[in-house]
Amino acid sequence: MNARSIRFQLVGWYAGLLIAVFLLLGTLMYAGLKLYLEESLSQAQLRRARQIAETLLANVEKTGEAHVVSEINSWFAPETNDRFIRITRGDGSVLYVSSSPKDASFDAAQVPPLRNAGQESAWRKETAAGKSLLIATVPWQSADGRRFLVEVGVSLDPVRAVLHRLILLLVLGLAAMVAVAVAGGYLLVGKALGPVEKMTQSAEQITLHNLRERLPIAQTGDELERLSISLNHMIARLEDAFQQNRRFIADASHEMRTPLTIMRGELESIVDAAPFASQVQETAASVLEEVERLARIVEGLFAISRLEAGEAQKEYRRFDLAELATSTTEQMCLLAEDKEIALSCTAPRPVMVEGDRARLKQVVVNLLDNAIKYTAQGGKVGLTVTVRDGKAILEVADNGMGIPAEARPHIFERFFRVDKARSREAGGAGLGLSIVKSICAAHGGQVDFQSQEGVGSCFKVELPLADVQNRKLEINHGT
Amino acid sequence: MRLLLIEDEKKVAEFVARGLRAERFAVDVSNDGQNGWEMASTYNYDLILLDLMLPGLSGTEVLKRIRRQSTQTPILVLTARAGTGEKVEHFESGADDYLTKPFAFAELLVRVKALLRRGANDRPNVLRVGDLEVDRLTQQVRRAGKRIELTSKEYGLLEYLVANAGRVLSRTMIIEHVWDESFEGLTNIVDVYVRHLRSKVDVMHPCKLIRTVRGVGYCVSDEPTP
Repeated sequence: MNARSIRFQLVGWYAGLLIAVFLLLGTLMYAGLKLYLEESLSQAQLRRARQIAETLLANVEKTGEAHVVSEINSWFAPETNDRFIRITRGDGSVLYVSSSPKDASFDAAQVPPLRNAGQESAWRKETAAGKSLLIATVPWQSADGRRFLVEVGVSLDPVRAVLHRLILLLVLGLAAMVAVAVAGGYLLVGKALGPVEKMTQSAEQITLHNLRERLPIAQTGDELERLSISLNHMIARLEDAFQQNRRFIADASHEMRTPLTIMRGELESIVDAAPFASQVQETAASVLEEVERLARIVEGLFAISRLEAGEAQKEYRRFDLAELATSTTEQMCLLAEDKEIALSCTAPRPVMVEGDRARLKQVVVNLLDNAIKYTAQGGKVGLTVTVRDGKAILEVADNGMGIPAEARPHIFERFFRVDKARSREAGGAGLGLSIVKSICAAHGGQVDFQSQEGVGSCFKVELPLADVQNRKLEINHGT
Repeated sequence: MRLLLIEDEKKVAEFVARGLRAERFAVDVSNDGQNGWEMASTYNYDLILLDLMLPGLSGTEVLKRIRRQSTQTPILVLTARAGTGEKVEHFESGADDYLTKPFAFAELLVRVKALLRRGANDRPNVLRVGDLEVDRLTQQVRRAGKRIELTSKEYGLLEYLVANAGRVLSRTMIIEHVWDESFEGLTNIVDVYVRHLRSKVDVMHPCKLIRTVRGVGYCVSDEPTP
């Protein structure tokens, strides 16, 4: 999954926020509970300590210290109640200390004495031999002026246990909540972004040749609906702009025809007429050549604009691409022979396609001409026609000079030339491959190429097959 | 032979008329549709050259009116529109041939002559230039009585050159006529074929018939070169 997708980011933020809130709440809960538990425990201990002080120590001068000890043992039974009780005299000597409780939750003898006890009752936490205790202290002065310090404590273990359980609960709850949040968020965001996915897919389908199509409107009434509507408006404006561009090219090439006709006609009559000086005739001839090239460029531009407007479809017919390839190769073999290039055509079975035969012939002619032009003396050019993956495939491969890497992205552009000086000399207008591309696109196909400098190039044309029969053929032949 | 040229571009009309007159045709020129139609319906022409983009009455309309009058006069349509669909449309409404601008005058002349010959079978079966003979029926070529074997494309090229003997033909014209529109722009194919043709037709003979006209193209002629 793409870590930068909206879905991922939204779910991430969503889960992160939930975790943060939960952690804050959990911490507050933990701290609150801890405070409450310790507070109530210490209050209980304080009460007990006061009880001891008020009921037993109040009369110590009458009853004597031994009485206090026995009273505490019988009243409070600290060992059985897991309690710690210690009474210290003002001089620091111990009057009474309970022994270790039965559950051995602490060792009473190890509890350190309270240093610098104040005049107020207080509570503290004490650690004795690794065990934690909560101890309440109450100072007491008897009627005869003797000072005592009553300490009552309990083990903090039960509190700790409760808090541990709370942490466990919180962790489990957090895990469950994060899981639910992530899953739910993922589904929800997915649902919300569904129309976006659809729009992306249809937007990818829209090319220069089907600008008439529109994106599906997400009828959700939300931002996505607005987005799809404004995207459609944008496509409409694009279509408009392209149409204007096409119309301009068509009009321009159309308007240029008449002056070109006149120039051509007048120049021809000069070239044809004998009485002129040969210098004049030669100049006129050279201008005539340029006029013819200009006418070809105009023709090419007009053809491209027509193809892009999808006007060629009226002339579609079924025909055999293999036969077209074979006959065109025959017509061009002399060109190859002239350069001692071995030109071969492999088209063993009929491959029926639907389209404008003359236009597709132009594709074959242009590709073969390029291959021959850019392959050195003694090279090889091969043309193959096959059926592959339900498509008609026409390939022109050569072992020529190849296309330089920096030129590769541009070779289908209008007026682009790999080697400007060279191809202009050969009379090229730089429209050959862009016409090839337009023809292929107008037929619902595409053209692609692979090239390695110094090794050769291979141009591949893919066209849809004419009918199902052909596809059966493909299955039978097992290509 | 009397021809009518209906063409609103005066300069186009001028050089076409001049060229046709040089070929000994009588040419009437009309510069708009209405006038053209009136002339076409008044006089009996052997052939009408009709531009489609006309002021007044459109060329298409003129075409329809002439055909409604059911004249057998062949009509050659000249147009700046190049769509094959439109071509079919105009053949259906009665055009006999179709030429897209910018055309080569030699091509226009070939078409005009072909249309005029139609029906009347006065087309020569054997073309001769010097000691070269091209038999259009059997497609056999002889030079000084000796048979020369040619491939079909070589024959097509030679026939076109010989049929226009004495006239300079540019590579573009040759491509348009001998090959087809798919080969447009491939001018070097003409050079290669002419070279092959020369090796078969001219190489053994002192008088070279196939001549290169520098910068333009080729010409077949038996007149001594200046």
